[in-house]
Amino acid sequence: MAPTYKANQVNFINRLAYSFHPPRRGDVVAIKLAGTHVMYLKRIVGLPGETVAFTKGRLLINGEVLPEPYLAYGCNWEHEPELVGQDEYYVVGDNRSMDFFDHEQGRTTRERIVGKIVL
Amino acid sequence: MKLWVTRGILLATLIILGLWGWRAIFPSPERVIRKRLGELAQAASIKPNEGALVKLARSQKVASFFAVDAEIELDLPGRFPQSLSGRDDIMRAVASVRNMLTSLKVECLDISIQMGTDGESGIAHFTGKADLPGESTPQVEELQANFKKIDHEWQIQRITNVRTLR
Repeated sequence: MAPTYKANQVNFINRLAYSFHPPRRGDVVAIKLAGTHVMYLKRIVGLPGETVAFTKGRLLINGEVLPEPYLAYGCNWEHEPELVGQDEYYVVGDNRSMDFFDHEQGRTTRERIVGKIVL
Repeated sequence: MKLWVTRGILLATLIILGLWGWRAIFPSPERVIRKRLGELAQAASIKPNEGALVKLARSQKVASFFAVDAEIELDLPGRFPQSLSGRDDIMRAVASVRNMLTSLKVECLDISIQMGTDGESGIAHFTGKADLPGESTPQVEELQANFKKIDHEWQIQRITNVRTLR
């Protein structure tokens, strides 16, 4: 999630953030793996029912470019449009300096989202 | 009255001790599988300055957790799918990794176990964490291990990775 969040930095997660509304685009969330001892920190870019694609490093939501002011490193990612299912969210990190396939990103279910990061 | 209270406390203590002893002597399959995963992580870890004999012994120890026909199938992002078949293949791969790395710390976290209806098999779902030398962030992967009781011992038949993000 560099440069927004650095490795080994202590962050706090608000587990109640989505008690009254669903996760929103742009939110940085903690995503659990088998449990909560280790979690991914990712940004929600795609919401349920949307299509997500990358063209020349630009993120496209339903075919339209999404402005991403939080990005510091450019990339040349290419990814075919992918439909985000119901109860799913498309998440990606802010550090896109590596190859697309080296980056942990993709669709996750609502159940895996533990909470929103407290800034 | 006081004597009866004392006897009651003594009886309750004996029952608790008996249950604790029973569980210690005859642990549930879930506890055994958890313990096996902990032992596997410990055996897979590499201490600095490991000698050649220790490396070989530890590679054999890691392989001993697996069934003879065990399979490991890993499809990790950014890497070619890896597949190992059979205990010997696994031992060779472990030995090869041990020769390449100077140290390694492996942990199995957030273990949840689903027992099969036959009571002779179980599936463990957990997060594998590996601290590699020279890397600031650990490698983490969500894994699933299929256990089977073979010759009174819980052995791993198959390990696959679970895609957290699809």
